[in-house]
Amino acid sequence: MNQAELDTTQLLKGVLDLAVLAVLAEADSYGYDVVRRLRENGLDHVGDASVYGTLRRLYQAGALNSYVVPSEEGPHRKYYGLNNRGRKALDQSAQNWASFSKALNHLLNGRSNGHGK
Amino acid sequence: MVSNDQASDVATYAASVRAALSDLPADQAEALLEDLEDHLREIAAEPGGPLSERLGPPDQYAQELRAAYGAVQANRRRQDPFLHDLRRARAWVTGSGWYREVRSFLPGLRPAWWVLRGYLVVLILTAAFSPGYGLGPIPDLGTKHGLAEIFATGVAIWLSVRIGRRRRPLPQPARVLAISANVLIAFVVVMVLGNMHSFAYSEIIGTASPEQPTFASAFAAGQVTNIYPFSQDGKPLSNVLLYDQDGRPITVQQSEAQTTYPVGADGKAITNAYPLTQRHSNGDPVVAPRVAFPPWPTPSPSPSATASTTPSPSPTR
Repeated sequence: MNQAELDTTQLLKGVLDLAVLAVLAEADSYGYDVVRRLRENGLDHVGDASVYGTLRRLYQAGALNSYVVPSEEGPHRKYYGLNNRGRKALDQSAQNWASFSKALNHLLNGRSNGHGK
Repeated sequence: MVSNDQASDVATYAASVRAALSDLPADQAEALLEDLEDHLREIAAEPGGPLSERLGPPDQYAQELRAAYGAVQANRRRQDPFLHDLRRARAWVTGSGWYREVRSFLPGLRPAWWVLRGYLVVLILTAAFSPGYGLGPIPDLGTKHGLAEIFATGVAIWLSVRIGRRRRPLPQPARVLAISANVLIAFVVVMVLGNMHSFAYSEIIGTASPEQPTFASAFAAGQVTNIYPFSQDGKPLSNVLLYDQDGRPITVQQSEAQTTYPVGADGKAITNAYPLTQRHSNGDPVVAPRVAFPPWPTPSPSPSATASTTPSPSPTR
């Protein structure tokens, strides 16, 4: 793992809950599919175990509901979806993230502007 | 479709992950790992290499899980290293392929155990309450006792199967009691079976000749089919009558050889006069074996006390 990957992993840790909730807000999904969709959305370094662990934690915290969908080939799939609590958590986290990223962008823009002149 | 290789890869990987998280409290581990296998199977079903290549070593995967789940690590320090090893070993066993195979196979044997334990209970009770009875694996149909035993076995099996097929699960204390009873049956039966060997042996001999004990000692070299008595000085004796400590005539096991018994004045065959006159099945007479006589100590002046029929003052060979 190089330094860039390490940084991304560290960054992801803080926002993985938000990312997982956002993916599930689009559509209900099962563990491996969540990983895949996160990666498709550009979060390449998301770890399988991190996503699985996050899903289980959110479920235990009561933010997700889950149901099993039998599949003809391969194992049954446990789908997760947002419940009211999960949607509230998503809204709250999204707001926090928006203000946080705005502040950080501002900070970074100020820095790059200052140096770029 | 998930192949066998993939299935065992999943089982092994999942077992290693579970082992690495074996220090978690059971409820937390269960909440975190309950569909780990399904999840891993999903990954294994995708084209690609073995799981440890795709996901990294199981230990690392476990640590990532632990971090993402926010699992407590506090009791890791407190834990006895021996207990930790024990849990790891248990996780390894319960996660292994052969354990799951045995676990899935055992429930199919349940009805067989119901039948067997019914039979065994009667066997145990018979052994416990009729010490003199010749206990065999199959009751003797010829006796009242044996018929009763068969009837009791039928009833016991019927009851046992009825108990086994009941729908309602037992409440916890009764469950423990029931499991203990089953284990006890299995235990006691081992002891009864251990004794049965001798029971069955005497029973078979007993039915072969009720009033005549058979001289059936099986030596390492084989059964005794004839006896050749010699006098102290090495002369072969004939028509030596042998009796046991209770005065019963001693007879030997029947062999392939044809035995001709001398007939007594009462018309009955004398079966304990040795050596027996025997012919092989091809008609040749059975000849006495060549024997090595034991060296006697210095001859005593009065050999009258010896078994010799023709006393001689100095035995020569």
